[in-house]
Amino acid sequence: MHEETTGGKVVKVLLIALTFVFVFLFLVLPLVTVFKEAFSQGWAAYQRAVTDSYTLKAAGLTLEATVFAVLINTLFGLAAAWSITKFEFRGKKLLTTLIDLPVTVSPVIAGLIFLLTFGSQSILAPLLRDLNLKIVFAVPGIVLATVFVTFPFISRELIPVMEAQGTDEEEAAALMGAKGFLIFRKITFPQIKWAFLYGIVLCTARAMGEFGAVSVLSGHLRGKTNTLPLHVEILFNEFQYVPAFAVASILVILAIIILIIKSAIEQKGAKSSDVR
Amino acid sequence: MYVELKDINKNYGNFEASKDINFGIEKGKLVALLGPSGSGKTTILRMIAGLETPDSGEILIDGEVVNDIPASKRGIGFVFQNYALFRYMTVWDNIAFGLKVQKADKEYIKQRVDELLTLTNLKGFEDRYPTQLSGGQRQRVAFARALAPNPHLLLLDEPFAAIDAKVRQELRSWLKEMIEQLGVTSIFVTHDQDEAIEVSDQIILTNKGRIEQIGTPLEIYQNPETAFTAGFFGKGSKLDYPQTFRRFDIPEGVDDLLVRPEFVEVTKKDEFQKYSNSVSEGTIVEAEFRGDWIELKVDVDGNVINARRAPEAEPVEVGERVNVLVYKLLVTENDKARILYNESVREPVVVI
Ligand SMILES: Nc1ncnc2c1ncn2[C@@H]1O[C@H](COP(=O)(O)OP(=O)(O)O)[C@@H](O)[C@H]1O
Ligand SMILES: [Mg+2]
Repeated sequence: MHEETTGGKVVKVLLIALTFVFVFLFLVLPLVTVFKEAFSQGWAAYQRAVTDSYTLKAAGLTLEATVFAVLINTLFGLAAAWSITKFEFRGKKLLTTLIDLPVTVSPVIAGLIFLLTFGSQSILAPLLRDLNLKIVFAVPGIVLATVFVTFPFISRELIPVMEAQGTDEEEAAALMGAKGFLIFRKITFPQIKWAFLYGIVLCTARAMGEFGAVSVLSGHLRGKTNTLPLHVEILFNEFQYVPAFAVASILVILAIIILIIKSAIEQKGAKSSDVR
Repeated sequence: MYVELKDINKNYGNFEASKDINFGIEKGKLVALLGPSGSGKTTILRMIAGLETPDSGEILIDGEVVNDIPASKRGIGFVFQNYALFRYMTVWDNIAFGLKVQKADKEYIKQRVDELLTLTNLKGFEDRYPTQLSGGQRQRVAFARALAPNPHLLLLDEPFAAIDAKVRQELRSWLKEMIEQLGVTSIFVTHDQDEAIEVSDQIILTNKGRIEQIGTPLEIYQNPETAFTAGFFGKGSKLDYPQTFRRFDIPEGVDDLLVRPEFVEVTKKDEFQKYSNSVSEGTIVEAEFRGDWIELKVDVDGNVINARRAPEAEPVEVGERVNVLVYKLLVTENDKARILYNESVREPVVVI
């Protein structure tokens, strides 16, 4: 850009410096601190904390909740995006608004809602007892909470893309005799592929890091209903700083991996839309 | 009749997109659905294809009622207005798609696609993606893709609208030739009267969801039946003070009087005029050279009318007084149109 139009060299340097200081203070420094604390008693202590059986259990549960959240929200996201962009029906606006609810409502509130809906006080309680289904303070509750908070992530990526593509190509394919699934596979999916992967990555990141809603529904049973973020909190509250930061570092590493995948997808997606 | 629509009605909410649509199309004909934007042309085309369902009425193809047959089973080729090419497939895959869906023999697909690439002059472009093609090339891919499965009926929605004027002319004659050669019954939508006149065997003129008139281009042009048709075709100018034109027996209560350039003869004061007793006098307001003709605007006692003169005739100047002879007029009355002749022109002319 032309320097006269943006207020000269001083402003430019100042703004860039400010941004860097900000990023350093709020992002880099905390991350470095996590690793510094995690390794403060050497590699062996770190290794012990990370391979601790409760940590592994927590990691397993986080993985389980994440996989469920991604699977369920993939199905839901595709269905919602498909119906909103390809069909006309009553209540479409309402549905579009409601889908966004999980990102606007505080996760703690979401947790409490589920606690009341499925807990021992709820009208569903006798039914759940008869079915021998335990949701609150059990793994299903964790999964439910994770699914809830990541609900809109995939559909929100798909809807604008599918809206922009319209239905002409699908109609053209249908006229030539192609059936629903073939049309999806050959026509629709290639159009939404990158947006879809992007949604999955965002959903995964959010699911792994979820704390609030899960915290309310978990009951903090070590080795049973503890996810990685909850485990970090417990360790920290017990003043076990090295293990706490060691477990936190796992989440940080995962976050960085996701960040790399995300930017790779963004680049690929941008490139493929050039070719189109 | 190969394609027949009987009493078709279609509403979108409260909006009547098609009202009492009735027409038949003979096998092998190239028919234009012509009308202004929003007049319901696309709606009719989509109902024939099965992409929309009429609220009432019957659609027959080859004698069979197809209302309940899904779009995928009607065996219709469709060229979309913006072509709707599969953007993630190459030209080759686009053309082959319909045949692959039908699980046609591999060798046959190869041969057929090759044939169509040659037919549409797209040899050498088979590995390109739609975005790597020009507008005209995309249109030809869309055409080839629609034709590949050998449809009995070809529907084209504004096939030339997205193409720049220079190429359009060329593509028009190419498409007309191609369709005639293949003999496939075709319906194309257009809002351009010149395009419809030039390309089609028959015109179905639509307006506000209704059909105004059906006929060959010449029939419709020469004998408009409704006020809308009279106004839609040609470069008619409305007469505000018609009484000034001599030798017309203008009845009481007419709505409008239209005069097209070809109804008018403009002669210089010193030129010979056979019907000199029925000419009016006018002043040239505008004279523009248009290649094959000179486009004139002449003011005759307050009526500004369009007229033409041959470029090789002696030029007329703006402001010049000229003789204006009007042979006939289009009269509209209660939405009906008819032709009114100049009395002296109707009288037998004695050739000296
Ligand atoms: N799916 C639809 N929903 C509501 N209105 C529609 C729909 N499709 C077309 N229309 C309306 O019907 C009228 C006719 O449309 P169309 O058949 O596309 O006209 P044309 O092709 O002659 O321009 C237009 O006013 C358009 O707004
Ligand atoms: Mg249209």
